[in-house]
Amino acid sequence: MSAMGDWIGFVWGWLATHGDIIIIQTVNGIVTGMILALIASGLTLIFGIMDVVNFAHGELFMLGAYVGVVVLSISGSFWLALVLSTLVVALIGAALQITTLRPLVGRDPLNTILATFGISLVLQNYALWQFGPVPRKLDEPITGQFVLFYLAYPWYRLLIALLSGAIIGGLYLFLKHGTYGIWIRATTQDRVMAQAMGIPVPWVHTGVFAIGAGMAAASGVLFGPLIGINHAMGLDWVLKAFIVVVVGGMGNLGGSIAASIFVSLLEAYAAIVVSPAQAVIVSFVVLILTLLFRPTGLFVPTPK
Amino acid sequence: MSDNDPVDPIEGLWHARKVTRRRLMGYGVATAGALGATMVVPAPWRAAFGQAKPYKIGSLQPLSGVAAAGGKTSLVGVQMAVDRINKAGGINGRPVELIVADDESKPDVGRRKVEKLLVEDKIDVHAGGFLSNVCLACMPSYEETKVVNMITVCLDTTITTSKCSRYTFRPFDYAPAQAVAIAPYLVNKLGKKWHIAYLDYSWGQSTRDAYTEQIRKNGGDVVGTTGIPLGTADMTAFLSKITGEFDGIFGILFGAPAVTFLSQAYDLGLSKKYKMAGDGAMVEATHMPALGQKAEGFVGINRYLPVLDPPLNTPYHKRFFEDAVARLKQIDPSGPLPDRYTQSNYEAVNALRIGMENSKFRGREDTMKLIEALEGLEMKEGDDFPQGDKLLRKEDHQAFLRQFIFDVQDGKHRILEVVEKEKTIVPPACTFS
Repeated sequence: MSAMGDWIGFVWGWLATHGDIIIIQTVNGIVTGMILALIASGLTLIFGIMDVVNFAHGELFMLGAYVGVVVLSISGSFWLALVLSTLVVALIGAALQITTLRPLVGRDPLNTILATFGISLVLQNYALWQFGPVPRKLDEPITGQFVLFYLAYPWYRLLIALLSGAIIGGLYLFLKHGTYGIWIRATTQDRVMAQAMGIPVPWVHTGVFAIGAGMAAASGVLFGPLIGINHAMGLDWVLKAFIVVVVGGMGNLGGSIAASIFVSLLEAYAAIVVSPAQAVIVSFVVLILTLLFRPTGLFVPTPK
Repeated sequence: MSDNDPVDPIEGLWHARKVTRRRLMGYGVATAGALGATMVVPAPWRAAFGQAKPYKIGSLQPLSGVAAAGGKTSLVGVQMAVDRINKAGGINGRPVELIVADDESKPDVGRRKVEKLLVEDKIDVHAGGFLSNVCLACMPSYEETKVVNMITVCLDTTITTSKCSRYTFRPFDYAPAQAVAIAPYLVNKLGKKWHIAYLDYSWGQSTRDAYTEQIRKNGGDVVGTTGIPLGTADMTAFLSKITGEFDGIFGILFGAPAVTFLSQAYDLGLSKKYKMAGDGAMVEATHMPALGQKAEGFVGINRYLPVLDPPLNTPYHKRFFEDAVARLKQIDPSGPLPDRYTQSNYEAVNALRIGMENSKFRGREDTMKLIEALEGLEMKEGDDFPQGDKLLRKEDHQAFLRQFIFDVQDGKHRILEVVEKEKTIVPPACTFS
């Protein structure tokens, strides 16, 4: 009992002396988790409705950031860049779905995986050719900071989290109450019946791919000011997005969002006690454990 | 089908008798003829060499993947040197044919592509290599096939120390020499206590060790280190941990991770709280548009800076600079200035040329003669080596050259001190097997 008491005392003491870093890492984990959730929700939406594992999602994220750079340089407005970039990449997504993925409907899933992988290579090399190797700058709309213990924490990071939450919330409301949202849900539940009821399923697929692409683009513009925009920027995010989509349950929107925040928080907390290289392993450990013990996803109700 | 039936345009092309089989054959022959003509008509420089067999120089570069940005500017340097050599009559009267391979920024792909260059393309020599893990993975292949490997960018210390090879040369600097050059400045002018943030792979780790050793030798201390894994999208969780009683943060990162590091360190107020310094790769000219004011005041060390101030105000550097700027504009519309990758690739090919001429190199059968010619090679500042004089040491195939300590003011590099090559020399730590 006294050993247990000592242990509790040690943990309590550690938490008391590390309170500042725990709060900082909580904020970091939530902010990173919300960006990841925005990327992953597009990915999981596309998978949930179309059964397409979109390997080009990271490149749509990157393309969004580049379109944002172009619009910002012309208009000077970050918000216009955010909106236009979302719309332009959504249109590109729709065109890609019609020309590349629609002809593959009904084929082996490997075909769509290879097709989206091909699209990712084309988009990546197009960006390198069109915009060149030099990273570009996307200016943040607000530059202030507030004191968070020993750090000057940028307000913009909190804004990203809020905007990501707002976009995801908007998507939820659209799916729940919008007419086209109901079409999308109907298509998810029973594709054949939805078609029989007069829902244009192929166009629903196109619309869903466009929404997913638009969300990737929006996250690219929102995250862009924190890095240099470059042709390979999508690679770093898309792997993590795939992890949270699997951990959250393939095609489960709510699960992916919860998994994004869960994994990001775990990594942020792990960084307090272990090296960054060990902290990034956490997400892979969660992935492996999920596949072993709950392959349908951590945030999916257990089938009865 | 009636005449009024709509005809699918693609179907129509084949069935509406607009393209007959005979006409199609005609198109085919014409196309083949045009292609053949382009092969028969020689490239402008080829005519000057008659039937002389070209030297095949292979160049492994990361033209896609995470390091593609540096790979592209590197290739500009190689191409500049090869064009200049061919324009001036080639090497030993023979033209140079450049064979480029893309390693996709991955060691396994790099190894495979190098095998192809060596076995299928039968290159005579190699000049390239960007990421250190790719260079290290490929070094055994050059040794097995007995081909000289002139490294052009890879900076991992072990390439010319514990893993050195008789076939591999590094005609530019490495971390121990740079650490010797900048450590006194860091400790005496910026602060005694440092925290090192580095990219957590072979180059970052070996460079961290070199700087730690020299900072301590000069009376300073490294009180903490943060290794950032390659491919970290958001570094904030790791940067948030960097705190404590020290004077400055010394960064060892390159490319996009360096831009992310400096941007996020600035956003978190670290740049105001601590002095920011580091390897010159952190603030290459190609990073400046993305960094804006976030790199202001950064102090670094680099072998090359894209400035025309003394001692780089020479006519040869001006010629190199102008040619590089014109070519870089072709690959990037923003018109970047040359970086150290353009410079070291350009000079590495020129060093190879001098070695091949001095050894009367004919092909792989003369590899040992070429190695002997390159060992101890003194490179004199001029059109071949606009960066300055260099010595390619015989004992470890490592070059020593002058270094520039600089800072960033108004988004531009400003030379603070020049450290001559004699002051950067460290003892060799290589035993060729």
